[in-house]
Amino acid sequence: MKSIVMDGDNRKNQERDDRSNSIHTFNLTKTFNNFHAVESLSISVNPGDIFGFLGPNGAGKTTTIRMLCGLISPTSGTGKIAGLDIVKDSLKIKKIIGLLPESSGFYSWMNAREYLVYFAALYKIEEQIAKKRIQNLIEKMGLATKSTVPIGYYSRGMKQRLGLARTLINEPKIIFLDEPTLGLDPKGQQDIQRILVDLNRENHVTIFFSSHALNEVSSLCNRIAIVNKGRLVAEGSIDELRKLVGDSSEYLLIRLLNLPDTQKALSNIQLPIKINSNINNPTKEFIDVSVLDAESHSINKVLEIFISSGLQIYEIKRMNRSLEDIFFKLTDSKKEQKLHQDIKPEISKNIDKNQNITGSKTGSKLQNHGGEQ
Amino acid sequence: MLELYRHDIAGTFYSWKGGIWIVTAALIFSLVAYLLLTDKELSLLDQGEMLFTLTEVIISLGIIISVITASSSVSTEIESGTFESLLLTPVTPWKISLQKLLSIITIWIILYVVSIPYIFAVAGGTNLGISAILYVGLYGTLLIIGFSALSIAISGRLRSSKNSIMTMIMIVLILLSPSLFFASSLKKTDFGLTLENINPVSHTMNSLDSLLVDNEQLLSQQLSHIWPVIIFTIICIVFFTFYTRKFEIKGL
Repeated sequence: MKSIVMDGDNRKNQERDDRSNSIHTFNLTKTFNNFHAVESLSISVNPGDIFGFLGPNGAGKTTTIRMLCGLISPTSGTGKIAGLDIVKDSLKIKKIIGLLPESSGFYSWMNAREYLVYFAALYKIEEQIAKKRIQNLIEKMGLATKSTVPIGYYSRGMKQRLGLARTLINEPKIIFLDEPTLGLDPKGQQDIQRILVDLNRENHVTIFFSSHALNEVSSLCNRIAIVNKGRLVAEGSIDELRKLVGDSSEYLLIRLLNLPDTQKALSNIQLPIKINSNINNPTKEFIDVSVLDAESHSINKVLEIFISSGLQIYEIKRMNRSLEDIFFKLTDSKKEQKLHQDIKPEISKNIDKNQNITGSKTGSKLQNHGGEQ
Repeated sequence: MLELYRHDIAGTFYSWKGGIWIVTAALIFSLVAYLLLTDKELSLLDQGEMLFTLTEVIISLGIIISVITASSSVSTEIESGTFESLLLTPVTPWKISLQKLLSIITIWIILYVVSIPYIFAVAGGTNLGISAILYVGLYGTLLIIGFSALSIAISGRLRSSKNSIMTMIMIVLILLSPSLFFASSLKKTDFGLTLENINPVSHTMNSLDSLLVDNEQLLSQQLSHIWPVIIFTIICIVFFTFYTRKFEIKGL
């Protein structure tokens, strides 16, 4: 796949400014009437990061992106993009960022080339440079054969590619993507992911990526923030988030037959190690017990106790904690509160420990703001 | 800046709005002029009154076309999701709205140019033709700037084409009603007089009436009518500037 050719001067400037392609928010809050869409959100995205921004529907992801891009003003708190204030310098910020919204609208009567020429003119890009850049983007997005067809005839995938081309027309230093692959076929998703990775690697573009596709986020992003109900639940690399929810990336799943006495027996037994179970919400047939400390001697002890208590084991599986597990665990409101209580002391230690590595490309700051609730 | 203007003009004429409006207006002018000159009863009217009727139609039609186009200008973009992309560019919402206002004024200018031959046809043989053209240009442009600015501000405020068009049509109907629908007895009531005094459309129609029917061609005789229209336009521009200077995308 062809990469985007940047104009010489722009590329040099971009490389020089690479270190400033950061995003920082401090207690960013947006309230609509009495509804807190985003509440005291403090995140840091380092230059060159592909930053995943995860959360369930209504978590405040789009509102956060809109505040960062200057489309709405925060109710309180501050935010900086490449060192520029998101309220005072919104026009300057718009020159150096690109946003692909969740659902872009297009002028159906224009074709792709006219559409990009129009936006290039709004960015005041010199005509010759714009012409070259547009041709390059049209080829890269695979729209070359359809560039003179009215956009009204485009499929969703083609429109999304065109939206991405528009996002890149000003050669942004920071790109915000709000569910960029939503509704695309696997090929379309893969193409967009590849373009994003190329941009990040070759042009050092910082990418702020909001998505529901957890696999996509785990494969693309080096750092992740999880938000729920407008609040930051956790921030860090996937490994750090794994530690946050279960101390280990692996755990053992023991599936017990849900017999008449199983629940009572399970609640009465004393185990030497920490377990989680769905004892309060079991399925008709099974009760699942997860052993977080999956060392062999611990497992043996647990199994011995289970058998001696008369519990019927249906199966035992070694599981890897996926981003999906982490996501559901962190965004489950009941568990969220418990988790905050459990991990708060440890997190405080980690924050102290990680303060000196904040700012490095891969150094992730492990945070939990749940304790502030 | 010009790119936005060009784009809006192209969009207006690509869609049904621009072209169809102009053709429809030309047909209406033709019909009115034909009836005024050939209908037995209408042709009995004084030529000044005929011309006054035609100028009333030109200005009313200009206002209605501008208001409908302007009321849907921003809200249509919001509804179709294109406005967010525009707001992401380093162009202020005020500049985006100003370009929309300019493109609507352009439609009025085209409509005005189309109306000139009809004015000449109806004014034939009198010295009223030039005055009619100048005053229609002056009042029409002031009113169209005012109403379009107000419509664009309301369109951005209400974010719904249906609601903004309905709101503006109601405002226009209220302002047009003394001239078009009020009986002379109603005009003389306190309500009628108050509405006439603050109403820029009534001042326009009264000015054209005195100019074309009563032949009061001196500018000084028309100043008392021109000022209220200028004030209305200024108020609308202030309202436009205030409401388009900042624009926020709504929704979560």
